[in-house]
Amino acid sequence: MHHVLLERWSQRASPLHRRDARAKILALLVFLVVLATTPAGAGAILTTYAALLAAAILIARLPLSGIVSRSMVVLPFSLTFALISWLAGEPWRALALVEKSYLSTVAVLLVAGTTPLPLLLGGLERLGAPRLLVLVAQFLYRYLFVLSEQAQHMRLAAACRQGGATVRGRNGFRAASGALAVLFARSHERAEGVHRAMRARGFSGRFSLLHSQRFGARDGAFLLVVSAFLVLVRFG
Amino acid sequence: MHIPDNFLSPPVWATLDAISVPAVGLMVRQAGRDLDDARIPLLGVMGAFVFAAQMINFPVGVGTSGHLVGGTLLACTLGPAPAVLVMTVIIAIQAFVFQDGGVLALGANVFNMAVIGVLAGYWPFHVWGATRHRAAIFAGAFLSVMVSGSLALGELRMSGVAMPRPLAVVSLALFAASAAIEGVITICVIQAIEKLNAGYVQKPRASNQRTLAVFSGAAIALGVVGFLVASAAPDGIQRLGIQMGLTAKTVLHAPLADYTTGSFLESAWMRRATAGLAGLLLIYAVCAATARWLVRRRSA
Repeated sequence: MHHVLLERWSQRASPLHRRDARAKILALLVFLVVLATTPAGAGAILTTYAALLAAAILIARLPLSGIVSRSMVVLPFSLTFALISWLAGEPWRALALVEKSYLSTVAVLLVAGTTPLPLLLGGLERLGAPRLLVLVAQFLYRYLFVLSEQAQHMRLAAACRQGGATVRGRNGFRAASGALAVLFARSHERAEGVHRAMRARGFSGRFSLLHSQRFGARDGAFLLVVSAFLVLVRFG
Repeated sequence: MHIPDNFLSPPVWATLDAISVPAVGLMVRQAGRDLDDARIPLLGVMGAFVFAAQMINFPVGVGTSGHLVGGTLLACTLGPAPAVLVMTVIIAIQAFVFQDGGVLALGANVFNMAVIGVLAGYWPFHVWGATRHRAAIFAGAFLSVMVSGSLALGELRMSGVAMPRPLAVVSLALFAASAAIEGVITICVIQAIEKLNAGYVQKPRASNQRTLAVFSGAAIALGVVGFLVASAAPDGIQRLGIQMGLTAKTVLHAPLADYTTGSFLESAWMRRATAGLAGLLLIYAVCAATARWLVRRRSA
């Protein structure tokens, strides 16, 4: 599954993995803004950005081919709109749309692939995201896998009961909504259990992270150098 | 419909980011106000439920299948403000973990699907939920998907993404079809949930939340505007854009007309950027002030 792979990538060790989440989030934002304001037809700038991303992937010791292929999820959407732009007589715009949307996806994947999500969320919280929002996100991510697996088991069980036949129409609809209702009720009960367990363990209202996150001099230097480079390439 | 990065033009995504941040902040505060400890894990687990629910397929028509989107279901079971919060988290995780939707476009996607989508989806339930239960749920789920879809379409068009009229019509028809499917799925699932335990579904008349009613009304009005923008003739918007661009140009350039130095373009660009930033700050300040006023009035 996709997110399992991402989880494995983010557990590796590299200079990029060690940077503070805040530095990476801010650098990502600078990159995205600079990329978004790059005019269509500025091929040299876009090539430089692509090279920078490739270098960062190598430094992070992530598989280049894996990132390149996973970022293609954006292509169906952008190719459709690019085709329309092309037909409308704006080939430069079409090309820029594909290139820029692809590069931004690679950049987001690079940050997600070098930062475990709990740390990324911790970084967002320190950057000012509301605590409740971040807490809910931590819980959601934690139980995403559990509930997805439960849903898959239910689907498998339903397929077994049907003996390979597909139930269509009204009955199929009723079966699916029943399954969802059961999943809903089980999720509710699970949440109650989770809360009791948390209370028993003395939950203080926030998750504590195993790695202490400190925005050190290296993180500041990283952010400064990356931003300066990006801005220089864009306006220099 | 998750909009990736670089489809929206900078003024469009920046404006929507500036609107979404205070709007979500307001909803988080509303949700936190009457939330006890026990509900925090519940919100997270329910977000995970919406993800997992996408694996259960509903047979729709010939050989195709649909799945639950979930905005209205969350609003009817958790309440509108917590539902906005959970949907925001879902959209953010989709952007970061699944590369579904952009990061700069997060404000736009959150605005379309989490803020407007959920509030528009809750409004019919709030008004008619007690008397016309099924119709209200269907209308809510239909509105939710339809409004967020047409808003996304309108935003893309405002950004100057080429979209011939037939394509816009076909997309709107597709949105209407998936909105109707979402409506039927949501009714079936909510009824099945009520059969298991009626306590899971909110009582629509339990609290008189006027703020939310106002917000939801505004959400629907905005959705209608988005729909109109999306279905209007493209030259209408282009003409508007050109006219606004011309006025901006004459206003900005007239005092500078005599300067022919090399840095002229630079300074014009800087001027436009500064004007844009000032506009964004203004929008953010207005939204934040409105949010604070609403919170204070509610607690007064």
